Amino acid sequence: MANAWKIARKSNTQLPLVIVVALAVVLVLLGKAQSNLFDQARVGVSDRLAPLLEVARAPVRGFDRWLGSIGDIFSVYEENLRLKEENARLRQWHNVAIVMQNRVDRYQSLLHAVPDPKLNAVLARVIGRSSRPFVRTLILDAGTRNHASPGEAVVDQRGMIGRIYLSGNRTSWVILLTDPNSRIPVTVAASKGGGSAVQAIMSGDNSSMPALDLVSRTAKLHPGDQVVSSGDGGLLPYGLPIGTVVAGDGGAWRVALLADAASSQDVEILNYSVPPEKLPPEAELPADAAGLRPLVPPPEQTQLPPSPQTGSVPGKSPAQQSPAQQSATMPPAAKPPAAQTPQVPAHADAASPQLAGAPPASPAPKLALRQPPPAPPDGGTE
Amino acid sequence: MALDRGAGHGTAARMVSALVPLLCGLVFAFVANIPISVTAGQVPPPLLALVPVYFWCLVRPDLMTPAAAFAIGLMEDVLSGGPPGVWTLSFVLTYVLVSRQRDSFASLSGLAAVLGFASAAAFCCATAWTIIAILDWRLPPVSPIVGELIMTVLFYAPVALLVGWLHHRLVGALRSDI
Repeated sequence: MANAWKIARKSNTQLPLVIVVALAVVLVLLGKAQSNLFDQARVGVSDRLAPLLEVARAPVRGFDRWLGSIGDIFSVYEENLRLKEENARLRQWHNVAIVMQNRVDRYQSLLHAVPDPKLNAVLARVIGRSSRPFVRTLILDAGTRNHASPGEAVVDQRGMIGRIYLSGNRTSWVILLTDPNSRIPVTVAASKGGGSAVQAIMSGDNSSMPALDLVSRTAKLHPGDQVVSSGDGGLLPYGLPIGTVVAGDGGAWRVALLADAASSQDVEILNYSVPPEKLPPEAELPADAAGLRPLVPPPEQTQLPPSPQTGSVPGKSPAQQSPAQQSATMPPAAKPPAAQTPQVPAHADAASPQLAGAPPASPAPKLALRQPPPAPPDGGTE
Repeated sequence: MALDRGAGHGTAARMVSALVPLLCGLVFAFVANIPISVTAGQVPPPLLALVPVYFWCLVRPDLMTPAAAFAIGLMEDVLSGGPPGVWTLSFVLTYVLVSRQRDSFASLSGLAAVLGFASAAAFCCATAWTIIAILDWRLPPVSPIVGELIMTVLFYAPVALLVGWLHHRLVGALRSDI
């Protein structure tokens, strides 16, 4: 028998072996430098497989349910009692949430707060799951033709699952929050005691609970604190529910995710994009709207053709402009207090559709007199 | 009936037979990476494509060449969604190991043959884990790759039977021609 193997041995296979090993090493390095090397091939395969996956999904899902129901048979009575109790408790919280939401809406209206951005969502179904050692993904049946694009958040009815990292024509690949390549900027809100929010980075490591890397070393967390997306970077909206803080091994903090990617079947792709900020018309700038003009005419006015609306010099950055010109475009907070007027900035109405139809609130001018003027449109949104 | 048993078209049969190991590896890589899981993604799929690489590297290394192992690993990389090149390099290095120790591996039978494949699969998974650790400059979790290794070894016996059947039906008779 051993002769049979020796027959097949050829001494001249050494050279191709070396070349192939070298090629494989080059491929690894190339893949490190350009991680989207195979992306087109991957989405091409999933696009072509999509009809087959949708057909195969039904029996697999049925089998999953049947498999899961075996264990549920023995605990259905206790589960029913627990759910009834939980339902009654949640009804109470529902009423509290409605009251609080109304209150928040009223406060936002009074403070002329910039409203949260509207989110468009695409409903998609999970048609595939891949759980490899180094990558954990879902495949959705929505692609670029459904306006799904890479970077968008994927949520189910409980919370965030992950983000889209590949989009084909008909399918999208989702990188899960538990994937080692997942990094999400999050905000940890204190669950009790009224503590301040803590910024952190949530990193997947293939375990069911991603790790939290705190931005501040002095921040203190407590088990049960709520973890939501922070919105930093502008890729994800602020406030997507993600999970709760739990204590991990060695003093580390981890996040118990609200969503369960293993059982999610129907998900939403949130089409979130921060619109490019548009400057208001020159006449509506706070200084101009208040009727303020530069006290000293800019010296360039004699050499350059005067601009009828502003004192700014076209083609020059603010740093290149004269102090008088800069003062014309300075926010009202930098003006002397005597120059302030109880006028509501125009951008507040323009940016807040809630204010458009709202009756004029009488205390608003008084508030504006006592307090500094509202922040410009690029100010805080919270 | 083996493809080469018919008289008159030996060359064409040889060409088809020569492609069987490569095609088998590519098809197994495709099947293992179909993103459908009856366990809701809790259990990793096995490295089915490693079985034909191991089997034909022992039985017919002239048909399972290093280039074929490279192509099968590349297919695994493309379909699995992981970092490019990881499985390609792991498959090729496993091929090198098996080809260097061919006589030792080929003399195994029964449970020892399964253990022989398990050692090759462990080398492959350890290589992939090490490459990821070097690329990311941090230690990845061990449990997922161990789960992959266990599943691969569990699936070895039935897949090896299938590969052996394919070998005898399509390739086997050509071995004497070498």
